[in-house]
Amino acid sequence: MSAVERNNVVEHGPSGGRPIVMAHGFGCDQSMWRHVWPAFAGDHRVILFDHVGAGGSDASAFDRRRYATLGGYADDVLEICRELALEDVVLVGHSVSAMIGGLAAAAEPERFGRLVMIGPSPRYIDDADYTGGFSRQDIEGLLDSMDSNYLAWSGELAPVIMGNADRPELGRELTESFCRADPEIARHFARVTFLSDNRADLARITTPSLILQCSDDVIAPEAVGSYVHSRLAGSRLVQLAATGHCPNLSAPAETVAAIKAFLAT
Amino acid sequence: MTAAGGVDDTTEDFFEDAPIGYVSTTPEGTIIRVNRTFEAWTGRSRGDLVGARRFQELLSPGGRIFYETHCGPLLRIQGWLREIALDVVRADGSILTTLVNSTLRPAAAGRPEVVNTSVFDATERRRYERDLLAARRREEEIARRLQRSMLSGDLPAGAGLDIAVAYHPGVRGLEVGGDWYDAFWLTDGETAGIVVGDVVGRGLHAAAAMGQLRSAVRALASTGLGPGPLLERLDAYARRHGVGRMATVVYAELDLESLHLRLACAGHPPPLIATPGEAARFVWDGRSPPLAAHRPGAAGRQEATVRLTRGSTVLLYTDGLVERRSSPLAEGMDRLRAEFELARGEDATTLTGRLSRGLHSAEHDDDVCLLAVHLAV
Repeated sequence: MSAVERNNVVEHGPSGGRPIVMAHGFGCDQSMWRHVWPAFAGDHRVILFDHVGAGGSDASAFDRRRYATLGGYADDVLEICRELALEDVVLVGHSVSAMIGGLAAAAEPERFGRLVMIGPSPRYIDDADYTGGFSRQDIEGLLDSMDSNYLAWSGELAPVIMGNADRPELGRELTESFCRADPEIARHFARVTFLSDNRADLARITTPSLILQCSDDVIAPEAVGSYVHSRLAGSRLVQLAATGHCPNLSAPAETVAAIKAFLAT
Repeated sequence: MTAAGGVDDTTEDFFEDAPIGYVSTTPEGTIIRVNRTFEAWTGRSRGDLVGARRFQELLSPGGRIFYETHCGPLLRIQGWLREIALDVVRADGSILTTLVNSTLRPAAAGRPEVVNTSVFDATERRRYERDLLAARRREEEIARRLQRSMLSGDLPAGAGLDIAVAYHPGVRGLEVGGDWYDAFWLTDGETAGIVVGDVVGRGLHAAAAMGQLRSAVRALASTGLGPGPLLERLDAYARRHGVGRMATVVYAELDLESLHLRLACAGHPPPLIATPGEAARFVWDGRSPPLAAHRPGAAGRQEATVRLTRGSTVLLYTDGLVERRSSPLAEGMDRLRAEFELARGEDATTLTGRLSRGLHSAEHDDDVCLLAVHLAV
């Protein structure tokens, strides 16, 4: 199975344009980029994909050992780039995929021209003199939340998360489904994401990088964005007016403008 | 008109004191309006909420991550949420277990976007769901332990006999399967019995059925029945005790002096055999239907004898090794034979390792069980 099939790669824009790969974070799929990618499709070769276990990816490709660390997900990004023979790539990663992108760029620096990290965090759990924002107990709480919502015990994907149910009371039929996830893989991804510690990897990233920091982001607070900025040599930190953790959905225009300004430098 | 006025009062009262909590927020979550029920349930006053807090700040830390990573995006993308389980933290720190529905009302005519959320008290329902989940996980754990304990034990060795097994649970699915293997001496150092079987179904039931059939095979084998008659008795056992219907089994006895392999196969994939100087081949003789599918009074269980030589290799396996969703069974069997040809000279442990790595791809979700016998030269 090719990486392109495995990760449900979708392309937009001219094939000769500069490649821009957009990696979604934990909890959703490539539809996270729906308001962002069109702004780049005029002159870039836009590459969207789903992590294994999310969206339209091939969940049967999931392997606990391969995806035991974020490095496994970074390998997928690299495999996609190799298969499509992408060079001078702009890699845009949201949430946990900001670090996944960082790991990919550290592994094959010659392939990546620019790295954009939206809401990055190299470690979510507080440590001695580091504030990630969460305790280990909080992460257990997240897993409980997922159990309650994915209803993994029923053997079904929760329709609330799949969102593909016919909802006549809303006066419309949704044939698309968003942010689908395989419950067991999502649980695993949650553990790998929120228990990871990639602080030491920041020093290995040499690709010119942009950090987009939201206001009032409970997942990746401003102190964490500043930490990443201080450890990532030559990085640029831009504070967005957008609040929350998903400016790619809540403030796409501001997000696009910040990325374009960075690419123009 | 007074009636209409009365309705208005009632509507207002109904909103404020409805048996569910109402919260309206901006798309970012900042609270714009709440009803009295929500105030009472959370122990927080309107003044403490409206304009002062975002809805997600009222959630437990884990729930907040879930909301930010799942609910927020989904609300933005599809415009609604249904039956999301969230824990709201009350003013006194205690937890209100809720189910939440939300709709994103689009901006229109100078009116900004608003998220309207209804909050249901789901304390009892969630307790019940958690109990169900815990029970389910317990059952899986018991089945796994049961299976492990039944598949443990020493394999016969010595007298030029080299046996290895590999067992790989399906990559997906939580429940154990009903694949099993066994190998034992019928007469120490002279004759060995080997068996691989596959019980229909998964979970505790399959694990228990597998254990019964495995014990029955051992007990029957010790009476010196031989493969064909053994399967007939096993058939009768399965029928009488209602266990393992449609299970498939291949049972063989290897005489280390004559090097004759007597085997009988009840609906199971054919053994693969390589004798020195000949191409590897599947053994299609000695076949009959799966257990308890055999019509009583029909011809007895078939049996076949294969002559081996020193250096020969025999492989028993379950269908998980050759079945793929995306390709015909014949292709899977061809692949197995090709892989087997490449590794046939190896010792049994190396062989099972290579075969299970090469063929047990991530593409299927079934269990795989392999048993290889190599006769040292």
